[in-house]
This record gives sequence, structure tokens and C-alpha cells, in this order.
Amino acid sequence: MVTCTGCALLCDDIEAIVENNRIKETKNACRRGAARMKGCTNRLIPCIDQKPTDIESSLKKAAQIIRNAKAPMLFGLDNSTCEAQIKGIQLAKKMNASIDDTSSFCQGLLIERILAKKFRTCSLEDIRNKADVLVYWGSDAQDSQPRHLSRFSYFPRGESRQRGYEEDRIAIAIDVRESNTAKICKGHFYRIPLKGDREIILALIDALSGKAPAYDTKKMLELAGILKKAEFGAIFVGIGLTYSIKDDFDILTVLADKLPNFAIMPMVGHYNMRGFNEALFKETGFVNRVKFDGKAVHSNNYSIMESLNKKTIDAIIVAGSDPLSSLPHSVLANLASIPVVCIDPCVTMTSKIATVTIPCAASGVESGGTAVRMDGKVIGLSKIIKSEYMTDEEILKRLMEAI
Amino acid sequence: MGIDFGKFLKNPEFDIKITTYRDIFQAEAFERDRFGEEYKKLSAVISMSKIDMQKMGLKSKDTVKISNNYGTIIVQAKESKRSEPGGLAFMANSPWSNALVSGETGGKGIPEFKNIDAKISLSKEEITALEKLTGTFIKKPISV
Repeated sequence: MVTCTGCALLCDDIEAIVENNRIKETKNACRRGAARMKGCTNRLIPCIDQKPTDIESSLKKAAQIIRNAKAPMLFGLDNSTCEAQIKGIQLAKKMNASIDDTSSFCQGLLIERILAKKFRTCSLEDIRNKADVLVYWGSDAQDSQPRHLSRFSYFPRGESRQRGYEEDRIAIAIDVRESNTAKICKGHFYRIPLKGDREIILALIDALSGKAPAYDTKKMLELAGILKKAEFGAIFVGIGLTYSIKDDFDILTVLADKLPNFAIMPMVGHYNMRGFNEALFKETGFVNRVKFDGKAVHSNNYSIMESLNKKTIDAIIVAGSDPLSSLPHSVLANLASIPVVCIDPCVTMTSKIATVTIPCAASGVESGGTAVRMDGKVIGLSKIIKSEYMTDEEILKRLMEAI
Repeated sequence: MGIDFGKFLKNPEFDIKITTYRDIFQAEAFERDRFGEEYKKLSAVISMSKIDMQKMGLKSKDTVKISNNYGTIIVQAKESKRSEPGGLAFMANSPWSNALVSGETGGKGIPEFKNIDAKISLSKEEITALEKLTGTFIKKPISV
């Protein structure tokens, strides 16, 4: 059995059938996981100024870019092993660089609070064994973490939930859209207006405090009634909720305090985003948006978005991420105006504008290591097939030696 | 041969609110080949309720132009199979939807990926290719 790196569920019950040193077939993996493990069509090759070169020349040029930069940034590492992430943080420290990752515009707000123990949380095994009320809030797990409901939450039998979804568990979806997860939560789908999450939270706080909620009184009292009766509840917070309440995130803490039997679980996409957050938190006390300058300084100005908006970085190393694909186009011209070093197993949109590209092994397939699951459990990754590519950990180590 | 006056008439434009979501088939296509036709087919599409489609005089497979201050994309319209009350259109998160997202974050670093205001109209143009979306950013070598 091997571990899938398709998302932060890190399913470790995958069977990989290898033929001619390629994964031909997988068993148990979801569509996304299977596609990821089988690998991309276009492997990255070493290039300088988009012209093919050898890996040593790429490394040399990348080191030169870093040395010449006055305000470099290291971005990404969410699709890297914990070992590579630690190396990346060390490199950022040595470069006096800023460091940020996808969590900066994804689940960082939530994970930071979980690591700071502002929310009660639990393991996915606790959910499988004990949870009776499951709230998918702004989260379409069926499409983003497709085996969440079948491995851990709604469908499995657990120690205290022998009758699973038929009798023992209630699944609730709160969403602006009737997602595939909402379809499963029959009778318990609460459709909300876009950006309506704050109002729902306030209404639930009222209902749980014995007051009549101002918003959709009947439905909110009904929902609060289900939540109150939970023996072991979980709120799976998706980016739909995080984005919607980003300006007033602490109201979720107030709601969680009203629900003493509930745990809060971040729904994470990239397989080791939480690993990056934990490693940086351990080193600096912050999960992202840090600049090393003798000491670690945290500011929104060190987020990739604001760094690009304000043009405060003059070079960037992108490892295992594709900001050209995931950022608003209105900031991409600023990204394209500085030297970009792209470390990735595959050709990406970012690699197409990179000054230097450095191909690496696909972690969890061509190299092993560890990663942190969405609930914080450390999971081992396997090297399934042989590869001549350097790992991203080795590449970051080489860059560190070169500067 | 008569003159096709229709081509000089501007298609009516409607205000639209778009939110984004994740789609497993699109995520699979991304992992396999983010430059491939399958990924484009599953990304360059906007789905709307039957009511909204009727209001705008659109039908499934129509090509539509969506634009705002941040960008313009040409995608395919699709009637949602789900029971949607209307007023909100949906796109899978991708470089196509990101072309319409403002970079302004109020200094907080999180863009409004799921809350996009735009205008939509029928179009005869080709569906926007990924190369066209990102090609603008392909740069000349930067000397370092």
C-alpha cells in the first residue's frame, strides 16, 4: 500500500500497479489522486531564458539570481515533502528572503488559528469512530477531497457509529451552491446567499444562546437544534467559508465556543500545505507571510499578493506551485517582470515565464518522505518508481550551498 | 447579396455575479495536462440557472463574452442541471475565472476569487485559449 498525494487526505491505502517504471493503474485512489500519481504529460526540462540547458547550468543560474536579488521571495512548497519544506525555510532564512505559500490566499487564516489552539480540533480517526453530526460548510469534499465522506466521515462504520450514515450520522451542507456534497446531505442542505456566511453564523450564535435569530428564524432554529444534540460534531471548513468571513474570521471562534461538542477541521487541497504551515509556525510562530531579516517578521505585506501588488520583491523561487494558474491575472504582469526560478516536476504556466526552470522528482511517487494530513497527522510517503530527477529537497540544498 | 446588418448590432449585455467552485473531473484533467483540451473544455464554461439563461436569451453551448475591469474571457454557456434559484453563475476555478478576479485585496492578501461581478453577452468569438490568457505574460529574457 502506498500514499496518494492528490490532496491533504493523504490516503494511505492505495495500491499502485507499476509497469515499465510507470504507474499503470491505481486501486482505491480517486480520479484526482490517480491522475496525480500516474504523472503529468509534460515533464519539465532545465532551461535558462526558456532555452534548454543542463541541470547544473540551471542550478548555477538560479543561485546567481538569488545572490543578485535584494528582496527575493520563496513561494510554494505545498506539494513538497516536510523534509523539503524545512530545507526551503532554511534557504529563505539564509537568503534573507520572504516566504509564503498558497495558504496565504487559501486556508491560512484557519490553520493559523488551529495551530494557535483557538479552535478545538480532532483527528480524522476520531471523526470516523465518534462523529454523529458532520457539517460541510463552504466545502464540496466530494470534488475537492473525494474520499473524505467514504473513508472518514459519513459512510464508514466507526467504534461508536456502527450504523454509519443510515442511522448514526447526520451530514449537513451549508453552501451557496447545491454541490455534490450537498446532494448527499439530503434534507440537510442549507443554501445561503453569496457572502451570507457571516449572517448565518450570527443567527446560529443567537439560536444557540436561546435568542430568536433575525435571519431565516425557522431554519436556523432547526439547524441549531441538530447541532445542540450532537454527541461529537465536526465542522469541515472549506475555502467557501474562509473566503466569505476573511474580514471577520474570529466570529467562527465565537460560534465554536457555543458548540462545546464540536471540532473544527480545515479542508485542505494541496497535499502538504498543512506541513508547510506547521514547519513555518514552529520556526517563526506564523504559518505564512514571513520575511527573514536576522529575525522573522510577519506582515500581510509579505503575502505573495501584496508583494506583487506593491512590487516589493525583485526575484522569486516558485517550488511546487503554479501562481500563474492560481492568481488573479491583474497581478501577473508584476510576477512576469522579475526573474522567476521554477522548481517543479511538470511544465506549468509559471514555468513558461520562468527565467530558470529546474525539474524535480514527483514527491510521493519518485521520492519518499513525510507529509502532514489535513488533521495534523504525519503520514509517510513512498518512493514507488525509480527516477533520475533530483528531489526538490536536494535542489533546495544545492541552492543553499551555492549561495 | 444583402448586407448582414446583424453583425453591426451589439449583443445585449447583462450584469452577472459569478462564484467559483472545484470540480473533480477538471482537477483530474489539470493533473494530467493543464495545457490540454480536456482541461480547457471543463474550465472555459459558465453554468447558470434555467431562469437566468432564459432572461438573457441564452441557451446551452452558446458562446459568451464575460468581461469586467480586470479581464475578458470567451467561454461556453451551460444550463445548470441543478435546481438553482438564479442570480448567481458558476465557474470552476481556473485561469479563465482568475482572469476576472481583481488583484485588489484591501492590503489583506486574499483576492475575491469567489465573488466576481462582470458583464455577459452572446459572442461569436472563439473560446479563449490558455495561451492567449497567459501569453501576455511571457516575457523576454531578463538579464540578471
